[in-house]
Amino acid sequence: MTRVQRYRLIGVVCVVAGLGVAALLASQAFRENLMYFYTPSDLLAAESVPDRRLRLGGMVEAGSVQRGEGLVVGFVVADCAQAVAVEYEGILPDLFREGQGIVAMGRWQTEAGGRFIADEVLAKHDENYMPPDLAEAMMSETGHACEPFKSAMEVSAVRRDAGAVNDR
Amino acid sequence: MKSLRGIFRREVDLLRMQVLDAVLPLAFYLLVVMLFAFGTRANDPALAGLSVSILWVGAVLSALLPLPRLFASEFEDGTLEQWCLASTPLVVIVAIKLFAHWCLNGLALAVMAVPLAVLLGLEGAGLGYLALGLMMGTAILTLLGGLSACLLVGIPRAASVLPLLVLPLMAPVVIFGSGAVRAWQLGADPAAPLYFLGSLFALSATALPWACASALRNAYD
Amino acid sequence: MWTWFHRLASPPSFFRFADRLAPWVGGLGFVLLAIGWTWGLVYAPPDYQQGDAFRIIYVHVPAAALSLGLYTGMAIAGACALIWRMKLAEVVMLAMAPVGMVLTAVTLLTGMLWGKPMWGAWWVWDARLTAELVLLFLFLGVIVLGDAIEDPRRSARAAAWIAVVGIVNVPIVKFSVNWWNSLHQGATVLSFGKPAITVDMAIPLYICLLATALLAAHAVLRRAQVRLLQREARTQWVKALRAQELGALP
Repeated sequence: MTRVQRYRLIGVVCVVAGLGVAALLASQAFRENLMYFYTPSDLLAAESVPDRRLRLGGMVEAGSVQRGEGLVVGFVVADCAQAVAVEYEGILPDLFREGQGIVAMGRWQTEAGGRFIADEVLAKHDENYMPPDLAEAMMSETGHACEPFKSAMEVSAVRRDAGAVNDR
Repeated sequence: MKSLRGIFRREVDLLRMQVLDAVLPLAFYLLVVMLFAFGTRANDPALAGLSVSILWVGAVLSALLPLPRLFASEFEDGTLEQWCLASTPLVVIVAIKLFAHWCLNGLALAVMAVPLAVLLGLEGAGLGYLALGLMMGTAILTLLGGLSACLLVGIPRAASVLPLLVLPLMAPVVIFGSGAVRAWQLGADPAAPLYFLGSLFALSATALPWACASALRNAYD
Repeated sequence: MWTWFHRLASPPSFFRFADRLAPWVGGLGFVLLAIGWTWGLVYAPPDYQQGDAFRIIYVHVPAAALSLGLYTGMAIAGACALIWRMKLAEVVMLAMAPVGMVLTAVTLLTGMLWGKPMWGAWWVWDARLTAELVLLFLFLGVIVLGDAIEDPRRSARAAAWIAVVGIVNVPIVKFSVNWWNSLHQGATVLSFGKPAITVDMAIPLYICLLATALLAAHAVLRRAQVRLLQREARTQWVKALRAQELGALP
């Protein structure tokens, strides 16, 4: 093998190896799942959620919205497996309603079974576009797919009773 | 092999002759962080949250300083032409030079970030994640900056154009690098952003030296 | 067929080709856009959740799709310029950059206008939005670098490198909504399986998509023509063309 051929071979091997390492590390990263938000399952399954501002994503459970005095509102946020109670004081976005996906920013409190005190609520719109009459025909019991809120930690726990969480 | 060690030694010698070039980025980093600290109230709790961003952005901006002139001395004294004609492949030469530059610049910044982070209120394992992230981040910056410097070698206006080319591509690096430390601060696992950063580094290290070599040859067409 | 392609790659024949094609492409695009916008903004049924506000989709989605498409096209042209040193590839690549930048800016602005009432925020640093912003800067980088150096060929090749290296960003924009839990919703039109949008909302969207693509193509063709004239100002064919134009004046 000539010198040039040897260099080319080494070059190709290095490039392939490098790309392989890059792909491997990337797949490892995706498996750890870079989170934009915690899901209810993540919050309940984490050993210690620190006392800092975090994001919670999930869908608003049907029948859980309770309005208090002024702009205070309480509701339950659920993913496909778990649910947590949320308290928020402020103006909710246009799209906020039961069965809607939301992302809330705030703090997690562990006492009384766990509560999320939100200081900001954003509505997460799903990718379905349809006229109102068709939507009514299609609406399921909870009204919204919980698919966009897969838990990062793949917690497969038994679904907690939302009523128990709501006790305050 | 001897030629590769020679290139590495050349970088070190160049910096030894112009000590200011070596010290300037580090001094700049120190000054930027200090200005931020002065700009906020003493012992401000908000500072701890922002400290990660300050440390990362400061490091990126400081590492940006020597980049426009990265290949200038080689271009000016004709070494670059010799490199293009040498028996060692240009890719290897460029890779060694960028590695040498990183050792003297990027690695130094990453190490310097640790005491500065302590100054801004960061502590514990977060320091480790910061340093690790910065080592990979400055390496990627050296590669990206190296590519831009090769594209602009010999052009006098390079210093003003180069940040515009490099900084947008550094956006994901800063996001993941600072994201890792912030994840640790929030109690989440910092592994995922660091893995992704590592992946970006592997990709850059594999692909960009070839691009640099091609760009350098381009300068002589 | 390849001879036609090779002949097209020569500047004068590309110039004539673009000159003949551009008016048709532009005219058709304009008509389709008028139809698409009228249909989408006035006649399509309102969305079950967003009401009438969703109609910004008819501007936002075509602009977004085209921004990615133009960047990909620009990267391909850049690769051709680097590998085969095609002069025309350089010209086309640099012609695509400003058009792509404008469409990316439109995407980001319409996205912000849509996001405020719907999500409750003008801007969030989630993956897709951040990657689209990086795309804007990549376009800007290609534009700046394309004319930064005295020698136009070297300038263009430098810009081509930026275009090619930045192509990693395009899959990030496209797939980020699938890979990470993010605020921006998943794919509606180009997802696998049944599209999640009803027919009477989808048809004006497809019309707008086609119209935007045609108008972008028109802009690229015209810009490429101008660049060619500027670069080749001293050649025979340009001089002949100028003589022809001047001779045609009364």
